[in-house]
Amino acid sequence: MRGNSYLTLLAAVVLSPAAMAQTDSGDASLPEFNASQASTGRAGDAADFRTLDSDIQDLKQLVLELNRDLFLLEEELLFPANTQVAIFVSMDVGDFFQLDSVQIKVDEKDVSNYLYTEREVSALIRGGVHQIYLGNLRAGEHELVAIFTGEGPHERDYRRGATIVFEKGIGPKYIELTISDREQALQPEFVVKEWE
Amino acid sequence: MRRPRAVVTTTTMVTVALMLLLGNGTASVSVAAELTGAPAPDFVLKSLSGQNMRLSELRGEVVLLSFWATWCGECRAQLAELGAWYGRYHGAGFELLAISLDRDWSDIGETAEALSLPYPVLADADLTVSRLYEVTSMPVSILIDRDGVVREVIHGFRRGRGQSDLDLVRELLRE
Repeated sequence: MRGNSYLTLLAAVVLSPAAMAQTDSGDASLPEFNASQASTGRAGDAADFRTLDSDIQDLKQLVLELNRDLFLLEEELLFPANTQVAIFVSMDVGDFFQLDSVQIKVDEKDVSNYLYTEREVSALIRGGVHQIYLGNLRAGEHELVAIFTGEGPHERDYRRGATIVFEKGIGPKYIELTISDREQALQPEFVVKEWE
Repeated sequence: MRRPRAVVTTTTMVTVALMLLLGNGTASVSVAAELTGAPAPDFVLKSLSGQNMRLSELRGEVVLLSFWATWCGECRAQLAELGAWYGRYHGAGFELLAISLDRDWSDIGETAEALSLPYPVLADADLTVSRLYEVTSMPVSILIDRDGVVREVIHGFRRGRGQSDLDLVRELLRE
């Protein structure tokens, strides 16, 4: 029993300094505190943050570009150039005309019925162009019927329509419907323009 | 020739009743689970004042959509109570849109006037938006945060017990 105690005590005496001296790197000495090293460490952290921030910004930019490319690819897949037809609405009105809605029919089929908010009308009056329809049509002759409703000066309600027969060729077809009162003052009408 | 009001109202009630019969409480819970946390589907409807209102143009505000009908008593009670919320928090960025499922504009207008509703009342006569939000019971309110995400779907009207809903509105306004 006494022998075991001696052995235990001996093991404790031998092993404890070794345990204290053992570190991850095997180096027995403690690092000394150095103020200049601490400030260098902080500067290093700041540089790391700046690099990280820059990396994040680059990644964000990459994601945005990828999103844009995917959108374009999707549009090309869904609406290939050889069958693509796009119809746009714009406004060129001198006096106040509050557009309410535009309906579009292609080959007697309702393809769009868009209600315009005040903000959207304001954007159109300032020169904006709205893509009201994007679809696919086979080559050949097609009929487009467009009807717009709104309120003109003196709170007078307007409802005007236009029928256009257009030829769809090989490439994409773009048609712009401009609501204009230039031809007849205070009488908004559709002016049709086919883009080349 | 204008159809008699009773016929129009009955038609509307039958249409919505069929919608409600096709849905049930379980469906309401599952719809709430699907909508909550997802971007609120965008829509545009005409208001009683004649303006077209698009939900996405209210991005940046906290929006409460309240689906109702003129023949729904609970709906009318809720709309009146929501008026107080609107008056108090509209200046802080709270928007409220009352979407009616009635077909008759005059019915909607009369009810809105009787209740003195201060917020926009929109008409969803062809039930496009109510289908978009899978409205299966009424009243139902959809709470949307400033980022356009649905945060809560509130079924029924909890008269006097809407404090938790109001607390959520305040929380979203603070975000």
